[in-house]
Amino acid sequence: MTHPGNRDGAARSSDGERLVQLGTRPSHWKSMGELRGTLPKTGEFPGGLPAPASGLPAEATRRDFLSLAGFTFAAAGLAACRAPVQHAIPLPVASDQIVPGVAQYYATTCGGCPSACSLLVKQRDGRPIKIEGNGDSVLFGGGTCATGQATVLSLYDEERLHGPTWHGQPATWSEVDHHIVEALQSARAGKQRVVLLSTTLTSPSTRQLIAEWGERFPGFRHVVYDPISLSALRLANAQSFGAAVVPHYAFDRARVIVALEADFLGTWLSPVEFARQYAIARRTEAPPALHVQVEAGLSVTGSNADLRIPVAPSDLGAVAVALLGRVGRKSGVADAPSGHDPVDPAKLDAIAEELWKHRGQSLVVSGANDVALQVTVNALNALLRNIGQTVDLTRPSLQRQGDDGAVAGLVEEMNRGEVSAIFLYGVNPGYDFPDSERFLRALEKVPLSVSFADRRDETSSSVHAVCPDHHFLESWGDAEPVAAHLSLLQPVIAPLFDTRAAPESLLKWMGNETEHYAYLRDFWRTRIFPRQTEVSDFETFWDRSLQRGLVVLAPGSPTFEWTLQSDWRAAARSIVAENAQTRAARRDDRYELHLHEGVPLRDGRHANNPWLQELPDPITKVTWGNVAAMAPALARQLGLEDGDVISLKTGTREIELPVFVQPGQEGRTISAAVGYGRRQVGKAGQGVGVNVYPLTSMDRALRSYSMAGVTLTRTGRHEELAGTQTHFSMEGRPIVLETSLAELAAEAEETPEEHATLWTERPHGDHSWGMAIDLNACTGCSACVVACQAENNVPVVGKDQVQRARIMHWIRIDRYYSGPPESPVSVHQPMMCQHCDHAPCETVCPVLATSRSSEGLNQQVYNRCIGTRYCANNCPYKVRRFNWYNYTENPHFDFNMANPVGRLVLNPDVTVRSRGVMEKCSMCVQRIQGAKNLALQRGGDVADGDIQTACQQACPSGAIVFGDLQDPSSRAARLQRNRRTYRVLEELGTRPSVAYLKRVRRGEGT
Amino acid sequence: MSAAMITVEPQASDGGSTVQVLLPPRWVDGSPTLQQVTADIARPMEGRPGKGWWICFGVAFVLLLNLVGMVGWLFAQGIGVWGLNNSVGWAFDITTFVFWVGIGHAGTLISAILMLFRQQWRTSINRSAEAMTIMAVLCAGLYPVLHLGRPWDVFFILPYVPNGRGPLWVNFRSPLVWDVFAISTYLTVSLVFWYLGMVPDLATMRDRCAPGVRKFIFRTLSLGWNGSHRTWSRYEVVSLILAGLATPLVLSVHTIVSMDFATSLLPGWHATIFPPYFVAGAIYSGFGMVLTLLVITRQTMHLERYITVRHLDSMAKVILLTGSIVGYAYATEFFSAWYSGNLYERYHFVNRATGPYAFGFYIMIVCNVLAPQLFWFKRARNNVPTLFIVSILINVGMWFERFIIIVVSLHRAFLPSSWGMFYPTIVDLGILAGTFGLFFTLFLLFIRFLPMIAMWEIKGVVGHDARRAPSTVDVSEKDEVAHV
Repeated sequence: MTHPGNRDGAARSSDGERLVQLGTRPSHWKSMGELRGTLPKTGEFPGGLPAPASGLPAEATRRDFLSLAGFTFAAAGLAACRAPVQHAIPLPVASDQIVPGVAQYYATTCGGCPSACSLLVKQRDGRPIKIEGNGDSVLFGGGTCATGQATVLSLYDEERLHGPTWHGQPATWSEVDHHIVEALQSARAGKQRVVLLSTTLTSPSTRQLIAEWGERFPGFRHVVYDPISLSALRLANAQSFGAAVVPHYAFDRARVIVALEADFLGTWLSPVEFARQYAIARRTEAPPALHVQVEAGLSVTGSNADLRIPVAPSDLGAVAVALLGRVGRKSGVADAPSGHDPVDPAKLDAIAEELWKHRGQSLVVSGANDVALQVTVNALNALLRNIGQTVDLTRPSLQRQGDDGAVAGLVEEMNRGEVSAIFLYGVNPGYDFPDSERFLRALEKVPLSVSFADRRDETSSSVHAVCPDHHFLESWGDAEPVAAHLSLLQPVIAPLFDTRAAPESLLKWMGNETEHYAYLRDFWRTRIFPRQTEVSDFETFWDRSLQRGLVVLAPGSPTFEWTLQSDWRAAARSIVAENAQTRAARRDDRYELHLHEGVPLRDGRHANNPWLQELPDPITKVTWGNVAAMAPALARQLGLEDGDVISLKTGTREIELPVFVQPGQEGRTISAAVGYGRRQVGKAGQGVGVNVYPLTSMDRALRSYSMAGVTLTRTGRHEELAGTQTHFSMEGRPIVLETSLAELAAEAEETPEEHATLWTERPHGDHSWGMAIDLNACTGCSACVVACQAENNVPVVGKDQVQRARIMHWIRIDRYYSGPPESPVSVHQPMMCQHCDHAPCETVCPVLATSRSSEGLNQQVYNRCIGTRYCANNCPYKVRRFNWYNYTENPHFDFNMANPVGRLVLNPDVTVRSRGVMEKCSMCVQRIQGAKNLALQRGGDVADGDIQTACQQACPSGAIVFGDLQDPSSRAARLQRNRRTYRVLEELGTRPSVAYLKRVRRGEGT
Repeated sequence: MSAAMITVEPQASDGGSTVQVLLPPRWVDGSPTLQQVTADIARPMEGRPGKGWWICFGVAFVLLLNLVGMVGWLFAQGIGVWGLNNSVGWAFDITTFVFWVGIGHAGTLISAILMLFRQQWRTSINRSAEAMTIMAVLCAGLYPVLHLGRPWDVFFILPYVPNGRGPLWVNFRSPLVWDVFAISTYLTVSLVFWYLGMVPDLATMRDRCAPGVRKFIFRTLSLGWNGSHRTWSRYEVVSLILAGLATPLVLSVHTIVSMDFATSLLPGWHATIFPPYFVAGAIYSGFGMVLTLLVITRQTMHLERYITVRHLDSMAKVILLTGSIVGYAYATEFFSAWYSGNLYERYHFVNRATGPYAFGFYIMIVCNVLAPQLFWFKRARNNVPTLFIVSILINVGMWFERFIIIVVSLHRAFLPSSWGMFYPTIVDLGILAGTFGLFFTLFLLFIRFLPMIAMWEIKGVVGHDARRAPSTVDVSEKDEVAHV
């Protein structure tokens, strides 16, 4: 297959290296080695390989072609990775299941963050090109998040290290191994401190491996470090219930959800899982769950809440205590704590009332890293009898294991020179530690520092050895995000670079020559296999697990008997006292700061991923950078506008951030997202935004993400923000429609209003593809946006072009506010081509480049398009996207499409568009066509559900349903007949094929 | 029209009654002889151009070079070099396109409709007005090519070009296709009309030239014109037919251009008033431009005798009329928006007057509605500086009118999530200025190398004295041939 991005026939690479060329055509290539013309040494090819391509004559012979093609298809044979083979298999002996041009799907587990969602990875001709959720997963359903969707691009990041380094210089693995083993041997002999500083590792086999290290090295310690820590939650659970765990929450069972600064739909703990649960809890068939969000800055979760109370971080504990006091009194607990009510007491009364009414079916969660607050929340859940119902302590979540105290202790130890070797696995404290310079200075005192980082980042550029780990799509592994819910990782491509799995390195260095794959299998044979009873033969169990990607074991341990320890009163009292102090110390010119994870970049580890950098934040809609969100009243008072750069000072630390006037922001709190301002990460993410981690602090061995007493000064500078939406009011237009439960119940079956038309009905073929989008389910998480970008080869255009309103996303999420700016109601509306029956774009195109298919799709014919943009002007939904420049293979747009490695992510089924043509959502026509072809081969017809568009597949809450509207029993057709259904701007007579289901508001209950 | 009345004293034998004879108005000052007319008009072509001409030409040519550079950059980079975006897909490109198409209308109106209505005052200005039409249409015609994403595929828009792409037709439902037909017809008819109208004068020039290249060119261009009665009578018939053909174009071209907007569904575009409103606006802007050009040329080329204040006065009256129609159309738009009760329409017009582009709206109102109201006063109509300033204001105002219609409608359309702003880039401005460079370069070359006033036509209106003059070269030539 000719590379779709290469139209001019001459393949180029960014750093001047020549690609393998056959005549003047770009060749097929499947590995980095081949791309660079340095074919790897291999023993798998009898008869040897052709000479490296650099020596290839310009006119390649047929023989050269065959040799290269042979290698190419051999590399393509990596598709066979699900078989337990460690090497590439030539295609001639590979499985007959592999057909060039036909995609394969492999189950694996996401390594984008420690949530470890189950995935299916789409692989085409040897390259993984798309991440899909694994629909078999009990926890995650078929959904994914934006980060997960984007991880496939991180695989093809050319800035990843191409091999190990020793003291910053490229080295061979044996050299590095030699140095490390030597150092470890002496450490072992001297019983010196050896530390593995890792992020949360959900892999049970790696945890086992680490335990074995502990046995081998007497001075070994494993310290878990999460830049966004839930340390306090575990400590609080230890205090309250005697179990230092992160509970597994069940939002789907809750009828009342109260979240105190926990963005569980966007970033907190396991957002994909929670979004799925939340969608279940909010279904309109039964009265949807009441959701109260108490937070400082508007989060994705807060934007979905029925009641959102803006509260400064320093008052959050007081809210929890106020609720606890009220619930306590209701439950008859003696001396229920009471304190100052930081918000309207009537609201608190109503919330407590609702909680109490639904005891056993309610859930209070908090994301604050504050033990007293978490203990209070525990007490609330305990008094409400939610433990064991919506809060599961027996099968806890293993997704956040960070221990702030241990990390702080480690830095002290390092500083004292007590650590002889440190291994950094999945962490980057040189960037995200509160005092990163201090960490780096401490790191210098460690005689051996080794990092598994995939690139030279802020930390790994200061270590002795970098032993780059595989990308998770290149590695074997396993994960256990929630106790007894296991999943496997399998490689879907041979490692692109000379990297090595971190567990394999660990094995090697402890003197165990077992390959990681064998170790993993052995671990499963001895530890996992015996815990299940369904399959008696391990091989079958292994194959089945690998194929499904996941295993759910029966709860092994007996049910955890919890009792609530009584020190929660003390915790509540300490909160009240502290709150009183803070309130007394408040001054008019001092503000509070609240740092949080943002949906696009999360904790910052994927900062070099241009898809994520260009993903608009679901709330601010700002791309390429973070902002200081500020309440409108405060901004007015200070005379600040969007983009005015302010300086925020806490103690000795100072940062400068552009202001974003954020409706719903707590009056005196500034919110800012972490994850930006990477100094060393790669060309896409370097220097984008500002690093706010230095403003976090270590407080009583806990990482604190909020602080009071912050001073604010204006710098006088102005920075233009790259926002994709600048107007946030619907201006009273019927765009996002809402209904209430009462209305929904009262309304009889509504007969849809017929709009008169002068047009003749368009003939339809066998199908009429359409969509139903449930605005009640959509949370605005934006996974669909990245999924669409990955599926449809949507180019990244960069900050400047986004500022010029030229973002290329085919699906966008419109977010509108209504109500007062202090506490607005927010709505999210996914908007893509509506595939109108009477499409305004079609009539105006002079060259018929856009036309309606017999199956109801509005098709854009790129080859015919001359780019008058008349269609975009006449599109009332403004969903058409124009290629203002050549965004591919253009050094000015140096993102994945201008990079020979990055281009590997392109979907070969979708044309890469050139300059000057219009494009837009095609309803994933390539997927429709693929499913139709399959159905044709099977001899049947396409069944409902056979085709899922990329956005639908990614949606964790199932808000998007695609289907054949001609089939009255299809889900989409049924939803389109729902009483909540309406079409956007249908009074224009466009007759969209996409219908929306109204958002349901719970009346004014509270 | 200041038709002079003279009273003829009755002869005694006529019975003492007084007869009033309506004399034809005098459209040329100072009763020059026919020979002098020819000499006056041929002077710019036969002598060396003055300093004024060179300065104007220099400026225009620099702007033209700038156009070439800007267009080169545009073609090399893509139209991303303009300030357009996802919300605003058209801005300076189509604004300036409509502006130039509109300018062209005056020429056709003067040469065709006024000819049919036998308005003799047109004779001094029709040639340059027609030339202006052609140059304006050339400037306008650039934009449909420039504004394409893929200008190299522009031929896709032509119906049935044998393009090896199978039976691909254009979309006859698209107003852009109608535009192609309308503009190309317009250009063709205008060119033919202009050229044929020039043939007798080209023959005059041929006869005045010394043998050489110039003579050769004029001989070729004058198509063997011999001035015979038969030639003249056929010529008159052809002129009449062409005028008849061109007349509907005055209405059709801008009607079709207006349909680019009217057939869409955008608030601010989707309006039935657009065709008449656009035609009036086109004539208005065209007369504005003719006025600007004539004031300049009559001063620099010393043709005050032929382009008199009375001509300017007549044009000012047309401007007053069409300007008032335009003003009325503006008001009607606002009224219909309010009266329709349509949320989007109403918002659009509120936004027009109060939104971020309100300055453009007020420029448009002041220039297009208020400024021409001066022409109710004869003193204003006869004052050359006033006429010149108002004509410039009209040009500015009419450009802004199109800008307001296009950009303000696009930048805040149906879904507020997609609202945005358009800010022009240097290339936007450069190409706008460049089209003026092209226009004026062509126009200055025209007045230098071709007879800018129709000699043969003006001779028909030079007045009694001249017509009674015994013999001039031209008349004798005409008579002579007639006798053959």
